[in-house]
Amino acid sequence: MTRDASAFRQMTDAGLLEAAAGGSHAAFAEIVERHFQPVYRLVWRMTGGAAEAEDIAQEAFVKLWKNPSQLREGAALRGWLMRVASNAVIDGSRKPRAGAIEDVPEPPDPMARPDAPLDRAQAQRLVDAAIAALPDRQRQALALVYFEGLSNIEAAGVMEVSVDAVESLLARARRSLKESLSAEWRDLIGGLAETGR
Amino acid sequence: MSNGNDMGKDMRPDHGTPEEHREIAKVLAHASAPPAAAAAAARLIARIADEAQEQPTAKVLDFAPRPRPAARRVLRFAAALPLAASLALGVYLGAKGTLDFMLPAAITGGVAANEDLPDELGGVGEADAYAEENLS
Repeated sequence: MTRDASAFRQMTDAGLLEAAAGGSHAAFAEIVERHFQPVYRLVWRMTGGAAEAEDIAQEAFVKLWKNPSQLREGAALRGWLMRVASNAVIDGSRKPRAGAIEDVPEPPDPMARPDAPLDRAQAQRLVDAAIAALPDRQRQALALVYFEGLSNIEAAGVMEVSVDAVESLLARARRSLKESLSAEWRDLIGGLAETGR
Repeated sequence: MSNGNDMGKDMRPDHGTPEEHREIAKVLAHASAPPAAAAAAARLIARIADEAQEQPTAKVLDFAPRPRPAARRVLRFAAALPLAASLALGVYLGAKGTLDFMLPAAITGGVAANEDLPDELGGVGEADAYAEENLS
C-alpha cells in the first residue's frame, strides 16, 4: 500500500528513513523537501557560492538514498547530511584544481578611494571575500552557527569535534574577520542599514 | 591568519562577549545569500527516481569452524584411572608406614618423628642445678 505525500509529511525523520530504506521514493522526496535547503546553503557558504555546490549537496542525498540503513539514528538525519556534504567540500578543497587561483575573485580594495562611502554591493563583496579567505573549518563553523543557527553543541556534532574546538574555531574566525575588515568594521556594523547607503 | 585545521593550537575556547556576537552578526548580514534551491531539490528528486538502491550486504560473515578430529574420551579415562589409583595407593601406604624402610632416616627417623624431644626446652628444669653451682 502506498501512502500519499501528506502522510509522509506527518512522519518523523526516523520513520521517513525507514520507509526510504524500504524503497519509497515518496518518503525520500519528503526527506529532500525537509533537509535539502539547509544542506545546500551550508555547502554554498563553504564553497563561496561555487557552481558545484548543488552537485555536492545532491551527492550527500544520493549517498543516503543508495544505502539508507547506514544511518542508524533518524533523529540525526540533518546533521549526518550536513557532515557528509561538508566533508565532501573539505575533501574537494584539498585537491588541486586547475585554475583555482584564477577562480578566486579579486577582493575590492577599499583603500583605493578611502573617502568613498561604502555601498551595499561593496560591503557584500568585502564580507564575502573575508569569509572566503577563512580556512575551511573556520568557515564551516561560522556557517553552521551564524548562518544556519545551530548551537555550538549541534555544530560540534556535525563537525565531529568537541564543543571547545568549535568555540575555538569561531573565536579565530571572528578575529580573522575583524582583522581583515578592520578598515570598514564601523561602517559594516552600523552605517549601512541606517543611512541606506 | 591562523590555520583553521591546526586544532592543537589555541584550543582554549573564547566565547566572545554578547556585543562581539552582535557585531559579527551585523557584519555577516552583509554577506551574499544563497539562491533558493527549489529547482535543485526537484532535480535531486528526479535523479533519485533513476538511482537504484544498493542491496544490503551482510557485513558479518558466517563462521565455519575448522573440522577437528573428535576428542577421544576413552583415552582420557585410560590415563586418568591409573593416576588416580596410584595416588590412592600412595596415600594408603604412606599412612600405614609400610614402606618407611625405603625412605631416608631424616624423613622417617626419631628426629623427624620428634620422639627425642626434651621435656623442657627453655632450660627452666635445670635451674636448680645452676643455682647450686652458684652457691658452691
